[in-house]
Amino acid sequence: MKRTNRLNKRPLQKKPLKYLIILSVILIILGIPSYIWTKKNVATMAGRYNSPMSPIIMIPGSSATVDRFDSLVKTINKQYGEHHSLLKLTVHTDGKITYKGTIRPNDDRPFIVVGFINNRDGYNNIKDQSKWFNIAFDQLKERYRFSSFDAFGHSNGGLIWTYFLENYFDDSSINMDSLLTVGTPYNFEEKNSSNRTQMLNDFIKGKDKLPSDLTYYSIAGTQLYTDDGIVPIGSVDAGKYIYEGVIKHYTLITLTGSKAQHSDMITNNQFISIFHQYIIGNKLNNPNDNNNKKAPQVTR
Amino acid sequence: MDSLFKNKFEQKLAHITLKLQKLLFYRIIQRTVLMIFPFVLFGGYIKIIQITVLDKDSFLTDILPKLNNDFIFTQINDIANVLYSLTLGWVAVMATFGAAKYTAKYFHRDDQLAGLTSISSLLIISYAYSKVQPMSFHGEVLGIRGLLFAILLGMLVGWIFKISSSSAPDHLTKHLSSNILERTFISLRAITIILIFSVIISFLVNITYYSDLPNNIMYSLANNYRSKNQVIQLLSTLGFSFYTIVASFFGWSGIYSPIEIEKSDPTIVENLSYALTHHTAWGSPNLFTSNTLYHPFATLGGTGSVLALIIAIFLVSKDNDFQTVARWSMIPSIFNIGSSAMSGIPVLFNIIFLIPFVLAPLACMLLAAIVLQLHLMPPSVYPVPTGTPGLLEAFIGTDGSWQALIFSIICMAVSVYIYIPFVRIAEKLKTIDNLALDEGGNIDEKN
Repeated sequence: MKRTNRLNKRPLQKKPLKYLIILSVILIILGIPSYIWTKKNVATMAGRYNSPMSPIIMIPGSSATVDRFDSLVKTINKQYGEHHSLLKLTVHTDGKITYKGTIRPNDDRPFIVVGFINNRDGYNNIKDQSKWFNIAFDQLKERYRFSSFDAFGHSNGGLIWTYFLENYFDDSSINMDSLLTVGTPYNFEEKNSSNRTQMLNDFIKGKDKLPSDLTYYSIAGTQLYTDDGIVPIGSVDAGKYIYEGVIKHYTLITLTGSKAQHSDMITNNQFISIFHQYIIGNKLNNPNDNNNKKAPQVTR
Repeated sequence: MDSLFKNKFEQKLAHITLKLQKLLFYRIIQRTVLMIFPFVLFGGYIKIIQITVLDKDSFLTDILPKLNNDFIFTQINDIANVLYSLTLGWVAVMATFGAAKYTAKYFHRDDQLAGLTSISSLLIISYAYSKVQPMSFHGEVLGIRGLLFAILLGMLVGWIFKISSSSAPDHLTKHLSSNILERTFISLRAITIILIFSVIISFLVNITYYSDLPNNIMYSLANNYRSKNQVIQLLSTLGFSFYTIVASFFGWSGIYSPIEIEKSDPTIVENLSYALTHHTAWGSPNLFTSNTLYHPFATLGGTGSVLALIIAIFLVSKDNDFQTVARWSMIPSIFNIGSSAMSGIPVLFNIIFLIPFVLAPLACMLLAAIVLQLHLMPPSVYPVPTGTPGLLEAFIGTDGSWQALIFSIICMAVSVYIYIPFVRIAEKLKTIDNLALDEGGNIDEKN
């Protein structure tokens, strides 16, 4: 055992109290601006609560489950070095919801997938699914209190979004910034857009209820100029009769080459960069947005 | 030695600590923590600038003159960022160097090369295989959160040097030039083994995923199993706070991380919307959440109420080292950046301070729960700007309630009172076996 009194024997100045006084003074000085800040902030917030969270809500196509986008999320996290969390909701036919996965704290851009036990094709099913989606959406709103979000729909997922927007969505309290769909058949399997299905007619009738500040990117895949193997390009293109002129921007993108098949498209590199740029990136690229500071800090 | 300590408990704690201090493992950890202190301190001050001046959500933004020049603002922001990232932001890299160096030195191996190898190894393990940015690392693992892992890695590297290379030549007897080459070839096998081993790990294991795993599990537990029952709410908040505090003690911040406040917790949002619609915080539905108990009353000066420790040192300590560290860490600690005091005293991994580090916050939370239940103060439900001093958090979170402010001061007094006996014990132990003294020296090679 060593004796180290040598160091400690220096006479100690009687200063501790001085530091306590400095401490109190600093706290009082800081207290005043914080008091002003909180009074002002609470007053502003009573007007409208601005949540920093803006999730990306995704709906898979018919016959697909909530796990449909697992690999997409994984690829995006890996390729761009980001860490979006993934929450999956399955809505049962009686309106009950099961949750899978979580949203990490401080994750401003989480992915939320909403799927359905009844995930069959057909106009009546789409109406039902929109109703179920609305239940899930209300729960999400209640639970996470976000004030804006972005949307993605694969195939029939885009139809559910459209039906939801026209029949359930209320854009006075919440903002849908952008929507991206892949191979959404607005006219089902009809190649010719003059043969309008019941659904397309209904959609066109209800188009005035679409949010006017929405930006929409619709992706159509083609192999041999006509269809993506399942959905004809004319059916995707029919979306223009619904969206054009009503929302802020409507863009149709045609994807060709390998992996342009209906179900493959979400693994297509071209698609992933479009998805990242327009849906995830739409918050990051905006220099006036507070969120852009936080997100890219994941890797150094 | 027993005469130094008043009662059985103090003697027992002193015995345990002294025994632990004999262990090589413990000595290396403590010294490494001390070694990184200057960088942690410097990083702490930079962090203050970042959260008070540069952050857009800071409470000072309203009174500071608006800097209308975005260019200058981003320049300053970038400078602060780089200074922070390369001090506190990669403190684990420095720690791994220290740990490997001390271990290798103890075993009479080439300490410098061991340290450098360890740095390489840690950086390889945390390398992000990203196609966007060629030279990027998983930052979370390199900061103070990766400290424990980095120190363990450093020790492992030192130990690999011990088993796979012969002892280092005495560099005083030979010329420097031949010596370096000689050293290289003696340690080459160890270096190769370590680097290959690291690259295998880094390729196979997703380090961020696993380093986040405990927190993610805890978080999903906290989020998915909620109960409206107040008792269960209280117990779960206490439990998760306990986990957070203990995790921080081992250099691993938990779910209620000190500076960022979670936004997606439904109970907190519920409280806020209640308060906003009723224009008062009184009567909010969830009394016992992390925002009403943990953040305002258990983090006075950073996790573990470190500011209470600093005040306790001002009040009772006669030790010059303690006083100096306390003086320097006071300012960061006011802004809830406790890491400088935690590495300078040191508190991290220091068994003496484990008890007050956990006890003080928990005692305050329990007191707060009682006071809230008796409706003596409103719960803090409003968002608190970044950089709010810990002592003022309750005051701001309740929209300026004086009861809450007074209670925060009471909490502080209680925490200081809990810390005082442990400061005394630590001080006495320093006179017996001062770990700080032989840092970097040759003393224990003779042991």
